[in-house]
Parts: sequence; C-alpha cells; structure tokens
Amino acid sequence: MSVRVGIPRGMYFYKFYPFAKRFLMELGAEVVPSPPTNKEILNLGSRFCIDDACLPVKVYHGHAEYLKDKVDYMLIPRLTSIVPREYICPKFGGLPEMVKYSINGLPKLIDVEINMYKSRISLINSLYELGTVFTKNPYKIKKAADKAAREQIIYDNCLLKGELPCKYIDGTDVSKNNSGPLVGIATHPYLLYDSFINMNLLDKLSDRGIKFILPEMLEKKTIEEKCRIFEKRMFWSSSKDLIGSALYMFENNNIDGILMLTSFGCGIDSLSIELIQRLGRKKYNKPFMVMTLDEHTGDANFNTRLEAFFDLIDRRQAN
Amino acid sequence: MKLTYPHMGEAYIAVKAMFDDLGIESIIPPYSTDNTLRMGAKESPEGICLPFKIMLGNYIKSIEAGADTIVITGSCGPCRFGYYGPLQKLILQDMGYDVDMIILDPPKEGIGKFINNLRKLGGKISSKTYKVFMDAYKVCEKIDELNQVQYYVRPRTKDKARVNSIVHDFKSKVLNAKGTKEISGLIDATKNRLLALDIDKDVSPIKIGIIGEIYTIIDPFSNLNAEERLGNMGAEVHRSMTVKDWAENNLIKPLRREIPYELEKRLSKPYLPVLIGGHTQQCLGHAVNYALSGYDGLVQIYPMGCMPEIVSRSILPQIEKDYNIPILYLIVDEQTGEAGYQTRLEAFYDYVEARSRRRQTIIS
Repeated sequence: MSVRVGIPRGMYFYKFYPFAKRFLMELGAEVVPSPPTNKEILNLGSRFCIDDACLPVKVYHGHAEYLKDKVDYMLIPRLTSIVPREYICPKFGGLPEMVKYSINGLPKLIDVEINMYKSRISLINSLYELGTVFTKNPYKIKKAADKAAREQIIYDNCLLKGELPCKYIDGTDVSKNNSGPLVGIATHPYLLYDSFINMNLLDKLSDRGIKFILPEMLEKKTIEEKCRIFEKRMFWSSSKDLIGSALYMFENNNIDGILMLTSFGCGIDSLSIELIQRLGRKKYNKPFMVMTLDEHTGDANFNTRLEAFFDLIDRRQAN
Repeated sequence: MKLTYPHMGEAYIAVKAMFDDLGIESIIPPYSTDNTLRMGAKESPEGICLPFKIMLGNYIKSIEAGADTIVITGSCGPCRFGYYGPLQKLILQDMGYDVDMIILDPPKEGIGKFINNLRKLGGKISSKTYKVFMDAYKVCEKIDELNQVQYYVRPRTKDKARVNSIVHDFKSKVLNAKGTKEISGLIDATKNRLLALDIDKDVSPIKIGIIGEIYTIIDPFSNLNAEERLGNMGAEVHRSMTVKDWAENNLIKPLRREIPYELEKRLSKPYLPVLIGGHTQQCLGHAVNYALSGYDGLVQIYPMGCMPEIVSRSILPQIEKDYNIPILYLIVDEQTGEAGYQTRLEAFYDYVEARSRRRQTIIS
C-alpha cells in the first residue's frame, strides 16, 4: 500500500497544491488533502492554536488536527521565502513548529525548508530533501520535480486567465456569466479561496451579477511595477502582491470598486492596508472597503456591509 | 539640522552621548507617557504593533519641540520594524509635518546608500567616528551594569521608594549631561548611590528572567515597568536583551567577523532550527539559558500581534514542560490596563515564590 501524505488545506495551499500533489504522486505517495474548511475544522483550529495567532494560522491548525489520524505523513513545508530577497511572513517560517507544539499525536511531519531568499536554486536542494523521504533514486525525484513544475505552470496560467482554484482542485465552480460592475478583490489567497472563512464571498458576488478581478489574475510584472513607488524595497512577497494589485485596481478605470479582506491580527496587512489607503485611496476616487475576518465574524453583518458596498458602486454608476 | 530619534528604554542615553561627542545637535523626545502613546495611536493603523505607536508619538512630541530630522535604524528582515520608517514618514507628511527621515538600513542593503545616510547626518567618517562609536558602546555597557545593580538592590533593600527616587534623579540629570565622559561619570555616581543603600545580603530572592520582543522588554514604558514591579515584590529580575547586546551582536560582532547570538542560536536549535525573523531564536535560546541557570520563572512580554513572538509563544509551552519552569505570557498594547497587569504579575510572583520554597524544603 502506498504511503498516505496529508496536506492541510490552509495558508498557501491554493497557491502550491498542484505542484505538491503532482510531485508526491510521481514519487508513489497517495496525496490526501483535508476537506474545505467547515465549522468543525475552524473550531478545532481555535481550540488547539494559541489565541493571539491570526485566523489563517488557526484554520491551518484545524486542518492539521483533522488530518492527523488519517495519514502516515503530513506535509507542512517551512516557506521561509519563495521569492529571492523577499520573505512571506514570519509565521510561515515557524509554521511547522507552531503546529508541532500545539497539536499532540501528529504523524511524521515533512517540514522541509523552502528558502529562496539567497537564490532560487536552493529549491532544488529542498526538493531532493523532500524526495528522499520516499525514494533514494535522485533521477526519479528530478523527473517528479519536472512534472510538478509543469503542472504548476499550467495551474498558474489557468488562474491568470481567471479560472478559480476550486475548479482546478475540487471540480466545483462559481458561475461567471455576469454583466454587472467589475470589483477588484485584493486579498491573500488563504482568505480569498476559502469560501467558509469568507462566507462565500465569490458566490455572493456572482449572485448579484458582479464580475471580479483577483490578484492571481494579474501578471507578476504588473505587480512588481506598481510596487516600485516605494523608496525602500518591499521585503514581503505577500505584501507586494497585495499592494501591487490594489494599486493596479485603483488605477485601472474599468474596475468600479475595490474590496479587501484581512484577518484580525494579520501583521503584514496592518502595514500594507495603511500604505494602500494613504497612497491609493486619497488619489483615486473609488469605492474601497476593508473587511476584517476572524473566527467570530457573523454572516449577517458581513452581508449588510457587502450590500452597502454594492449599493455604493451601483449609485456611482447610475450617476 | 536638529536630529531626533525614538525612545527605546535607555538607548537615548548612549545615542545622545554619541551625537554630543560628534558635535551634532539632537533633541531627546520627552519621556514616553500615556499622552505620547495616545497621540501616536491616533494616527497609526489600528492593527500595527505597540512600538510603532509609541515611536510615532515620540516623533510628534520631538517635532513640536523643534526637531526637523528623524534618524532611526532599519532592517529588511521579515519583522514589521523594517517598514516602520517609510510608513511613519508617510503618516507624518499627511499630518502636515515637514520632516526629513534618515533610515539607516544595514550596509548589506546597499553600501552606497548607507554611507550617503551617514553623510547626511553631518558626520565625516574618520578614525574619530570609530572612537566616538566605541565610547558610546562603553556607555551602553555602563547602563547595563547600572541596571544589574538595580536588579540586585531592589529585592534586597527595604526602602524601595529610595531606589525609585535615585533612578528618577538619574533620569532627570542625564538629560542635561553632555558627552560620553560626563554621562559615564553620572552613571557611576548613581551606581554607587544605589549600592550605598541598606541591603540585606542574606535574602535569597527568587529569580525571574524576562524574555520576549526586544522593544517591549527594553522599554519600561511599553511594559508598564514590569522589572520595577517584580523587583519591588521581591524578585531579582534579569532582562534577556539590552541595548548593549543589540549593539554588540548587530554592530560590533559583524565588524570583528564573529558570529552574533551564538549561544542563543545553539540553545534554540532543538526547538527552532532556522532563523525566521525578529528575535524568536533569541527568545527561545534565552528561555533555555535561564532554565539551565536555575531561574525560578520567566515572563514573556510582546506587543499584541507581533509576528515572530507569536511563533515563540507557541513553542515556549514545550520549553516550560521540558525544563519544568513556569512562564507568564504578557501581551501589551495601548489598551493594556494597569490593574489587571499588576494582578497577573503578583499572582505569578506568588506562584513562583511558593513553588521555589516548596522545592527548597524538599531538597533540605
């Protein structure tokens, strides 16, 4: 029987799952992702995680706890840096430890470090390290890595064209035959694609006939270019994505409004959103709303605020 | 040009001494108060960490006192501190203050920029600069010593109020002292005054180590004088990070090509094998170090939402178990209430004290 490797559906799952899945499958492992977040998983997360961590970290703990008895290994990579000279967030770097010391009875952890701060080449070493858990044959690992990289490129291109990860990963989709206004949503992937956490935001938008544009639909080049307004280089890739796409959305005249989701206690967002507000909101006269999510967020007030935001966009368009 | 810089515990003493010796005019921001914090927090983003808010308050107060240039260190680590400068500059501009901000990023971010910034400070880089810098470092060492004496004296003397008055006297005098020489003399005098107090040498107080985020443990205003409170209850405290340690590990050791934070990295390795930013490794390393050195309890202090310290916070319970040492976790922000804080410290002190007494009876 093949080895079962669990991948918790949290943090950068929606960014790199196709890569991880293909890589592990090629090495002969069975990949078991945890199911989309639900009430039970969220409750597990807030029970096991320390209380002042941010929502995505709590959700991740919930997924890890949910998966722990169902798999032989659990893949919790240490994503210190995924772009040269840029970090993501300290919590990504300490994630394996956070999970390890908060949850008892975990299966064997695969906590390979991915640190491309100095150069991208170190990824190769990390993949070999990861591969040797399953096979001693370096050629097999290389082949698996090549196939996985191909898969990831296809996936990234799909997202760029406007597909949603859930279609690619789970086969479900949000209908997109809309003719309404176009709203830009600048948010981290772990809040945007987790429909339980964001209370079906994308469905709700679609139901109202609103089109949306997401950070993953923008070229990396565009984002880089927008981030050049800073004197000091931005050293978080997560923040760069956010600021770059938000500024693009402000400047693009086709986009009628900008929506931002953030989780309570997100360190990166506390800075980035302030920068966006000070740089973008004052200059461009566009509807802009920030919504803070945490494990206590209620559906009703979320809807009310969303509706108010839609009304604002509609009124602007009518004038 | 009138320089100013934010407060961080006793750092202002060394920085002022250095600027005095270099002949650069500088303004020490008024000591942080609730009003400072309120002014800073009003203009800061809601979710940012406490040091940002206090520093912004310091700037505003300094600008009102006539400063026109702010100098701070920067970093490009994953901690938010690295982007304090650019955002604070933007906020001050939006508030209508016309100030220049010099952010001293580490030289590896671009040596040209670094030297340019030093030039902007008005200093010519000569052998004298190095000497002045080393003198300022010596002031840091002296401040550390003064603190150690304070930690030693506080639990052992009956007249705690006298300790406070000596320290306050020092704080008001140091503002008027000029240059490293005069300040060093003042520190020595204060130390002797403290040691001249009536000390009961037979007392063996419990020992509590303070770990956590560097700003909130160094700056007594941000942690509501945790050291003083614990000391007055009767505990001998020790703070894991000081301005001198910071300077030693970030400035002196790289110059001498030594490895910074060697001990901390080694001790924290079993718990966190890599650097993830902030002072996580140092926090964990010091926790282990204190436990091995026979400390009775630890207090971790960090600002609400601090990214690196949240990681340490989730690992520390394991150290608590492994080394059988109680840890109190204190999170501070502008909403922290004094009464609740004091109660928690007292409860922790009572617990640790009873625990160590019990252990001693078992041993004897």
